[in-house]
Amino acid sequence: MVATATRGKYAVQPHSQEPGSPDERLVYLVDKGKLAFRGEYQAIWESACNKLAQAGYGALIPLSYARHSPKLVKTLNPEAAINLSASVSLAAIKVNRAAAELLPKAAVIAAAELKSSHSFSSWIATVEELIHHAPESSLAVLERTQKIVSTLTPDRFRSWVLAGLRSTGDDTLRQIQYFSFVDPESEKWFLHEAGDVVFTNLERKLKLYLISLWNLCPPMRDLIASSAPLSVRRISISNGVIQVPEVFPGFHDEQAETIFRAGIAHAGAHLMYSTKKFVLGELKPIQVALVSLLEDARVEYLAMQAFPGLGELWLPFHTAKPSGPKLVPLLLSRLARALIDSGYRDGDGWVQKGRDMFFDPGNDFTDPAMCRRIGGLLGNDLGQLRAQFNSKTYVVEPPYRDDNMGLWDFGDRQGQEESDEGIFIEAMRTSPQESDDDSSSSQDSEQSDDRNEQQYSARESTDSEHRESEVAVRYPEYDYLTGAERPSWTCAVEYFPDFGDALKIDRILEKHSKLVNRITNLIQSAKVSLPERLHHQNVGESLDLDACINAVISRRMGETPDPRIYSTTERKHRDLSVLVLLDVSNSTNDKVQTAGTSILELELQATSLLAYAMSELGDPFAISAFCSDGKEDVHYYRIKNFDSPYDSSARAYLAGLKGKLSTRMGTAMRHATSDLINQHTHRRLLLVVSDGEPSDIDVDDQLYLVEDAKKVARSISRLGIDTFCVGLDGSGDSYLHKIFGKKNVAVIDKLERLPERLPMLYFRLTA
Amino acid sequence: MNLDSYSITSEPYYFPTHNEVQLFEAAYASRMPMMLKGPTGCGKTRFVEYMAWKLQKPLITVSCHEDMTASDLVGRYLLDAEGTVWHDGPLTIAVRHGAMCYLDEIVEARQDTSVVIHSLTDDRRILSLEKKNEVVRAHQDFQIIISYNPGYQSVLKDLKESTKQRFGAIDFDYPSPEDEAKIISHESGIDDKTAAKLVYISERSRNLKGHGLDEGASTRMLIYAAQLMAQGVSLQDACEVALVLPITDDRDVRNALSSAITACA
Repeated sequence: MVATATRGKYAVQPHSQEPGSPDERLVYLVDKGKLAFRGEYQAIWESACNKLAQAGYGALIPLSYARHSPKLVKTLNPEAAINLSASVSLAAIKVNRAAAELLPKAAVIAAAELKSSHSFSSWIATVEELIHHAPESSLAVLERTQKIVSTLTPDRFRSWVLAGLRSTGDDTLRQIQYFSFVDPESEKWFLHEAGDVVFTNLERKLKLYLISLWNLCPPMRDLIASSAPLSVRRISISNGVIQVPEVFPGFHDEQAETIFRAGIAHAGAHLMYSTKKFVLGELKPIQVALVSLLEDARVEYLAMQAFPGLGELWLPFHTAKPSGPKLVPLLLSRLARALIDSGYRDGDGWVQKGRDMFFDPGNDFTDPAMCRRIGGLLGNDLGQLRAQFNSKTYVVEPPYRDDNMGLWDFGDRQGQEESDEGIFIEAMRTSPQESDDDSSSSQDSEQSDDRNEQQYSARESTDSEHRESEVAVRYPEYDYLTGAERPSWTCAVEYFPDFGDALKIDRILEKHSKLVNRITNLIQSAKVSLPERLHHQNVGESLDLDACINAVISRRMGETPDPRIYSTTERKHRDLSVLVLLDVSNSTNDKVQTAGTSILELELQATSLLAYAMSELGDPFAISAFCSDGKEDVHYYRIKNFDSPYDSSARAYLAGLKGKLSTRMGTAMRHATSDLINQHTHRRLLLVVSDGEPSDIDVDDQLYLVEDAKKVARSISRLGIDTFCVGLDGSGDSYLHKIFGKKNVAVIDKLERLPERLPMLYFRLTA
Repeated sequence: MNLDSYSITSEPYYFPTHNEVQLFEAAYASRMPMMLKGPTGCGKTRFVEYMAWKLQKPLITVSCHEDMTASDLVGRYLLDAEGTVWHDGPLTIAVRHGAMCYLDEIVEARQDTSVVIHSLTDDRRILSLEKKNEVVRAHQDFQIIISYNPGYQSVLKDLKESTKQRFGAIDFDYPSPEDEAKIISHESGIDDKTAAKLVYISERSRNLKGHGLDEGASTRMLIYAAQLMAQGVSLQDACEVALVLPITDDRDVRNALSSAITACA
């Protein structure tokens, strides 16, 4: 559908001097084009043209190729021009004629921008990759060649394409939305790859900044739900949550960091000083805008009393000039500047009046009511001036300020979507620009809005199913194809586990009482701790100097010297915390070939033996389980925490585990690590119990999740945490070897083999 | 033995924040062993010096470390040309000749070390030198004081219950903002207003405690910053050198803290 809409725009228009019929035109273009080639290339190119002409793709594709590809000779080389014909063929076969026709033209644009033949071949390789994996979307990408190649390097382009393919799975509709920039994720990753300063990368800094200033720690989210054009997106505060746009366009590097910081400081000032909401009442839109503006100035005034340096942070963004047409939005930004910048002079009577009223010595700055009063009056003045105010196009300026939606109590009017205020609210929330009259784009935004709402409501409904789930943490994921992590790519959601029958665990212990004893003894004999230096020993590998001196002194004094003059080192304790991470994906319901029980059953048996032994010995340990349902919903169940006892409820949770969904191992490992990192023992061990290959419903690249998990395993070991994997059922062990390293995997196919394998694990920890 | 070199001759500057001076004097009257608790750089050591000066007693300070053994405190035989000779350790000198003995950061020392002070911290007030077969009765002026930073508490490094219960304790914290400003301006010579600003800045860092910082900026750090400023260094630079860079290696925390300092300026 996109194809037909754009076809007209890009179709080859006959040039005046070219002959009329397509065949004649092709002959004309080939004759003209081959002049660009030298020697043998001439004939090769000509035959490439003929091949395209005879392939039955229609007349336009060979024409487009013959017209554009010779231009590549000059910018790049003849090979690039000739090789392009294969890509055009591919596009014609896999996608459609429109895409194939567009490709030569896009290639010329890309070549002009990229300049080197190496970059160009990476670009064309990515385009081909896209044609293979998401043919329906490739036209949309080709149409945006100029935007893409002028912003992204070919590597980054591939990275952005992969982000799209990875986030949309094999959902064609979502792919098209992503690659035509309808999906807000698309813009987000585009900016990410473009290297702009994005909120995700600054989030921690900004959080710490607010804590440092006001000891405030409100949750922050990226404002992905907004369908407004990027340029008019503003920070939004609602119910104590700060929503931040992913990027402030036009602000780069240091400047970008500054505007994020200015925005967060402004939001912090609201949280500190905007203590009660204004009631909307009968206020007109202009009055609402004014009261909000005055409230902004009031909280900034108070914040600057506490932190004078904030003025320097905010002031540079106030760029209004005391001249120009007296349009309401301009007057508003002039007033905003007049209220914060004491050095600003404005001859306008209305602006001056606003300033005088605001700084009237009788005002109580701690009470927001002053803003309501002054805003009402100033609004009436503007009304009498018959100044036009369009609430739909109004955007809060300067851009660091928030949309002020959080200041207002809309009462029950919020439901009345059709009322003026309702529209105004909507306008302030999304602020679509009037100039954006392209109907398709506004339709698209509506669609994406709907989709986001669906997403949110979906999340709510799963939440209500498992009421207790409250923790949702985002983690990056590693893409081996780009060699980089994508930040905040996946989401680990903690759900409360189901209760099962704790007696089941007790029965396992009873049945395997001999094994339990063996395992307990095994663990007990393992000394995992910092080696301690022992002085004053009978035997040892070095002399204890203090003891030697004492022995000599004793001899001189005529006493019998103490023969214990050696020192040695020994590991005396077991200073080790273990987090057992259980894979409870659907595949664990399979039967183990040799044992006849399900993998999950075997997992439970092994875990209950280990857990029993560790709790008997007093070792700190935790048990968690995971499965996944796409990247946004990695289920994480806490069976037992480090600080909670291994009591009947923990055993009941363990017994209640069921195998379902998929295995996004990396994210679960990252989440488990955040627990383990806080344990202050000498060694920390992440013990993953799995049946093999990581996979998820939205991933069709088998290697992707394996490589991610491998990356996690490595980065965990860099944190000083050991990883070990107990593989159940031999089938998946090659993947496990790849992820954890051969030495760190023990495969058991029946419970009796656990004691044989455990010493290997503990030996590794003490070695 | 002459303990003059251990005496504090001129009055150390100490700004009492509560009634700690009276409490300590009362404790000293009965020679009660004292424990000073509080975060690093809040003035524990200065307080002990001040009290030693006020009470006109010599003060022997021992900074405890991981490798310190009981004989480092008590003393040991050493070899010399003629044979062996006994050397008193710092604790024994204080016990024998009547000084205040201050064991700084006692938890750092090995656990067997803290046990040697047990007989000194109950009504016996004796120190037995096993190697020398001697029992030293404490001089009437002897008092033992230990310091202890609860912030570092971990299972491995904590005082034994039997040690803890032998001491009276005074809790120290950073002084109130007004008092802290006075202390800073006295110690560095900068004006009260700048000192107050530094204290305000320190609150920004103390807010970050538990969010990337283990401990906020101490009074000592603020004095360092103030001393730099007294030499003409700008507030931002002085805070960077004396406060932001020493306190953490975490870039995000540094960035947040620096920005907050800019906001205070």
